[in-house]
Amino acid sequence: MTNRKHLLAGIILLTILTTACEQSKQATSTVRPPTKEEVTKTIPQNTQPELAQVTEGTRQTYQWYCTQCHGIKGKGDGINAKFLTVPPRNHTKAQYLETRTDEQLFQAIKFGGLSVGRAPCMPAWGETLDDDIIQSLVQYIRELCQCEAL
Amino acid sequence: MKTWITIIFSGLLLSAHASAGIVEEKDCGSCHRLHPEDAEKVFTAPDLHYAGNKFQPKWLKQFLKNPEVIRPAGFITNSGFSQIANLSPHSSYTEQEANTLTDILMDLKISTLSPVTSEPLSKGLRAKIKYQFERTFGCISCHQSLNLAGKVRGGISGPSLVNAGNRLQAEWVAGWLNDPEVYMVKGRMPRYKMDPTTLSQFTRFIMTLKKENIK
Repeated sequence: MTNRKHLLAGIILLTILTTACEQSKQATSTVRPPTKEEVTKTIPQNTQPELAQVTEGTRQTYQWYCTQCHGIKGKGDGINAKFLTVPPRNHTKAQYLETRTDEQLFQAIKFGGLSVGRAPCMPAWGETLDDDIIQSLVQYIRELCQCEAL
Repeated sequence: MKTWITIIFSGLLLSAHASAGIVEEKDCGSCHRLHPEDAEKVFTAPDLHYAGNKFQPKWLKQFLKNPEVIRPAGFITNSGFSQIANLSPHSSYTEQEANTLTDILMDLKISTLSPVTSEPLSKGLRAKIKYQFERTFGCISCHQSLNLAGKVRGGISGPSLVNAGNRLQAEWVAGWLNDPEVYMVKGRMPRYKMDPTTLSQFTRFIMTLKKENIK
């Protein structure tokens, strides 16, 4: 009888613990950077940043959002730059940017710096900008650096 | 008796007229949006048509008497926003003017906000949210705030959050994080989709940021 009581108590405790873990998992599911698998899964299969066009809208978007850190000419000297622990990327320097693929730049803009193993100072813009404009921003960065992925 | 009633009534009318006129007299509307229907116009200072939803009256009164810099880089629509132009300081007002303006501004509301919990964050939870503030969401890149050691850190393109706990209403902070477009058609801040738990914790974290905690 005592054994049965212990067994029952054990089952109840296990159920409670399992449920609590699931709730905790749900509650924090949107507050961590996406895993590599999630990033790959979320990127549209037909993403072809190299085909995106840089339009006036692209330049305006860059000026409105990106210049805050990357500067009005993309030199990494925006008004926030000197306050950041990791300096914003200079988009006019090809040396680093040619080592990144267009897909990596797309991921960094959409999911933030952490998603591609870079600085968390770069926030995720995926809830603000749609994929088309992010693709055109990638091409605009290519214009600024006058470089392509090696 | 009739004379007294007339005097009191006239006094009230004069007072109401003077109160309503101070906003025009100080020309607040030339920089700030004061009416929801002015959505098409571009203003060079923060919108105030929801000031009653956003600010704490005590802070607002103090600000009007002794203005402090909230946006070191200026307001987002300023032409020199990205270049740190020389900003002209906000006008300061007398005690009486500040009281009257605060009363008027606190009546400007556009929505009824959902109540939020004011339960303080535990030390551990505060450290966790601070980590998310800096690393998961990258807020620190644009907003000055206080680190755990009480030092001011962060970028300047967004409004300073160093004194957010005294300046803002918790309900407004939660409303802004949840749906910023209600208050601003197009800001420069990225949108985030936070689950209700994170949103509540974030709001409570921001409300802990007070200038008296600077060390």
